Amino acid sequence: MKSKKRKNRNREDPALEMTPMIDVVFQLLIFFIVTLKTQDLLAQLDVQRPAPDPSSVESQVDDLLTLLIYDPATQGGGEGVAMNGVKMSMDRLDTKLGRVTKFSNTMSVVIKCTGASQQGTLVKVLNLCSKYEMKNLSVFSM
Amino acid sequence: MAKGRDRSRNSKDGTLDMTPMIDIVFQLIIFFIVTLTITKEVNPEIELADAPAAPEVDFADTTLTVEVSKRGHISIHGAQLSRAKLRIVAQRRYNIYGEYPVVIRADYRARHKAVREVMDTVSEIGLWKISFVAIKEKKT
Repeated sequence: MKSKKRKNRNREDPALEMTPMIDVVFQLLIFFIVTLKTQDLLAQLDVQRPAPDPSSVESQVDDLLTLLIYDPATQGGGEGVAMNGVKMSMDRLDTKLGRVTKFSNTMSVVIKCTGASQQGTLVKVLNLCSKYEMKNLSVFSM
Repeated sequence: MAKGRDRSRNSKDGTLDMTPMIDIVFQLIIFFIVTLTITKEVNPEIELADAPAAPEVDFADTTLTVEVSKRGHISIHGAQLSRAKLRIVAQRRYNIYGEYPVVIRADYRARHKAVREVMDTVSEIGLWKISFVAIKEKKT
């Protein structure tokens, strides 16, 4: 008799309180949505370390392109880049590299950076070299 | 008396209030997720330069990522360290893995002097595979 009563009560009140759980799940959802950060797609720019004496490289390699990265604020303006001693803009460098690599993109490129030059300029130059599939890149610190 | 009745009803019904347990479980999940993100965090102050023409990153498991802030501070996973410390860390890693690639994640405003310090330090150990990281494509 007693067990029948219990069964009846269970049938009448079978509900599980879902509201707090739903609240928490929504809190979690909001948390993830707010903290969600879309990550930028990253690029990789491989470089080589130069030989201890850069002049020895220049003397050995015939097909050599020298780029200089400098600080335009303290070292004569421009966009902070010079090719074979001639200061130029990034657009001009882009055009020049395009012309040079028409003949050969296997040439060695030595990128000389002054201590005050900015990383952003170096990356821009490496990006251009990558654009023209120039592989043999050495970064030399001055 | 009422308490006693409630308790006896609970035990007879066999029901257990799950809500507090679920609350705690979710709190724990949040805690673990938050701490996991912190340990993986890189220096958020570093703004990378754009390099749309460069190939996508393809790092090996053994890659060491060294960060250089715009002020020239060197760090690994956001933990700032001196050049001497970097050398110790890189050397210990070298003793375990042998030669491994080094990736420099430098702010676009960082001076080359600071980047050079990192390159020189890892080169002294015998690590020559050096790469710079840049942004290929910005996700908004």
